[in-house]
Amino acid sequence: MKRSMRWICTAAGATGILALVAGCGATTAGHTSGAGASGIDHAADHTAASGGQTVTLTETGSSLLYPLFTDQWIPAYQSVNPGVHLEASSTGSGTGISQAVAGTVDIGASDAYMADQQVSQNPGMLNIPLAISAQQVMYNLPGVRGHIQLTGDVLANIYQGKIQYWDDPAIAAVNPGLHLPHLAITPVTRSDGSGDTFLFTQYLSDTNSSWKDGPGYGTSVNWPPVPSEVAANGNQGVVTTLAGTKGAIGYVGISWLDNAVAKGLGYAALQNKAGNFVLPTPANIQAAADATTGIPKDERVSLIDEPGQHSYPIINFEYAIVNQHQSGAKGTALKHFLEWAIDPQGGNAATYMTPVHFLPLPSKVEPLSRAQIEQIGG
Amino acid sequence: MAAGIAASSPVVFLAGIVTIVVIQAIPSIRFSGWHFLTSLTWNIGNVYGGLEHEHGVTAASGASFGSRVFIVGTVASSVIALLMAVPVSLLTAVILAYRTRGVVRTILSTLVELLAGIPSVVIGLWGMTVLTPWISTQLGPLLSRAGGVIPYLRGPVGTGMGLLASGCVLAIMVVPIITATTRDLLLQVPTLYREGGVGLGMTDWEVVRHICFPCIREGFIGAVALGFGRAMGETMAVLMVSGNAVNLLPQNLYSPISTMAAFIADQLDSALTDASKMAVHALSELALLLMILTVATNLAARLLVSSGRWRQRRTGVDAP
Repeated sequence: MKRSMRWICTAAGATGILALVAGCGATTAGHTSGAGASGIDHAADHTAASGGQTVTLTETGSSLLYPLFTDQWIPAYQSVNPGVHLEASSTGSGTGISQAVAGTVDIGASDAYMADQQVSQNPGMLNIPLAISAQQVMYNLPGVRGHIQLTGDVLANIYQGKIQYWDDPAIAAVNPGLHLPHLAITPVTRSDGSGDTFLFTQYLSDTNSSWKDGPGYGTSVNWPPVPSEVAANGNQGVVTTLAGTKGAIGYVGISWLDNAVAKGLGYAALQNKAGNFVLPTPANIQAAADATTGIPKDERVSLIDEPGQHSYPIINFEYAIVNQHQSGAKGTALKHFLEWAIDPQGGNAATYMTPVHFLPLPSKVEPLSRAQIEQIGG
Repeated sequence: MAAGIAASSPVVFLAGIVTIVVIQAIPSIRFSGWHFLTSLTWNIGNVYGGLEHEHGVTAASGASFGSRVFIVGTVASSVIALLMAVPVSLLTAVILAYRTRGVVRTILSTLVELLAGIPSVVIGLWGMTVLTPWISTQLGPLLSRAGGVIPYLRGPVGTGMGLLASGCVLAIMVVPIITATTRDLLLQVPTLYREGGVGLGMTDWEVVRHICFPCIREGFIGAVALGFGRAMGETMAVLMVSGNAVNLLPQNLYSPISTMAAFIADQLDSALTDASKMAVHALSELALLLMILTVATNLAARLLVSSGRWRQRRTGVDAP
């Protein structure tokens, strides 16, 4: 008797919890902000109730874009429009895209644009470039001064295990007069899904046909098995691994350049389409950005290997992934914020871009982004 | 009623999690079949290309999912961790149980338990900045020179990130678990038995070896299995020191590896960009596999620990 009562109680309790969990799920789905922001969101709702003005916009995704949002844009936009409360978090480009699609965040930040399949499944999603970023190839070669020169083809052969030592004839051929040690190469990749992997593998695919037909490109790819290769987590992990391993080579986002150079790493001059070896200087990145032609209306395009004498070959757009169907005050707030963000006098000003090593959108790209922002609305 | 809710919550949560993981894994089970357990290649396919249809499910073109590298990495790193942790834990437990008392025992026991409380990311950071360079430059070359006898010790040593480093950080994490459980088991061995041994003229070590160990054997195996379960499920620290190899089995003790838990944490973000969602399903199947392994290990551990206790009760002597 007693035992059966207990079972009934337990079963009732279980049903209660299930209902509770289901309820929570429904509330979260209906709410537009992530769980972490809920406390602040309450406060915002409160203000909205009394003042009727405050709107909260949430952003998540790319760890590369996160410093721009959290250190630069959010404090700055606070004075531009105090009625809008911005919440940013760093989760990864894939998460940014998927949460923007699911509607759990307002802005998904991504280093990579959405794939055709994803766009056709979710026709209302916009890929709006906000800024230009770049990536450098870094190495740990003690005693080698200056910048070694590398081509995409040599890099593809290194990451396929076909070139195993630094004094390989193929590397020596593009570095005439430079003495390279007989040191084993340790290729370093990103283990987590990453916009950096997307850029790097696009450069390899553009310059090496066996890479194009093999691993291809993506935020994580099927790396050819190379016994000496290691994969590290995040740009931080790659820089630490490179710094700790003599003979290592890897790809690192431009915002980590100063940090990595301070740790004794060198960075390579890469061969561009014109055949010149160029460094990732602001001027060379700007040259590549200005050389872009034929950008489609939806702006989903690779900026790898642009023409021009000085163009640095690995640059990309940093995207805001946004659903064009937005209602009322939120839609208006989102529109105004994005318009401010790409404005050369607003968010795209050098004051905000330089600290994170980004470059503003070229003047011919900005109208395209503006036209996409115009589509946001009911 | 409130008590009923509280009491049933673990069951409900477990059932909920298992259900979700199983449902998420079903498309991947249909897509890969047994191939999932045997294949070495994990390739989410070209997510920027087309889709392919197979066995009634859709995946990105060129996709192929095999978990053997991760199963081998998980089991091998956990076994290496146990090889290091078991002797250390056993001897520490003997010292804590029989060689110390009062304040000293309390302090030492607390220190061992505090070790269990260090966040794994801290141990991972230590592993990345201190341990792996040391393996790469000192320990690895040393073991490699002795490797003429044992084949897997032979170089190349590489970056130090890999099987050995993962085993070391895991060992640090399982030592407190095994030590604490073993110490409690040793304290349950009746004093009368030990006094009998001493009375027969046994040395301290002989008492431990011939009287205490046989008493706690099942419980100790259970404690080791608990540690094994913990090591297999550990994510962050391994992620930082394992080298995260894919598509390649470890060649020697220093080779980069990947474990199931670390790989799931690493790959989820990319998997979310797969329009066919098959990459997420495949990670769910990997999670299901990991869950089956760890639950089975923990279950076996608990059965062994409790049967050890039961045997002591049956002998009719209460714990002191």
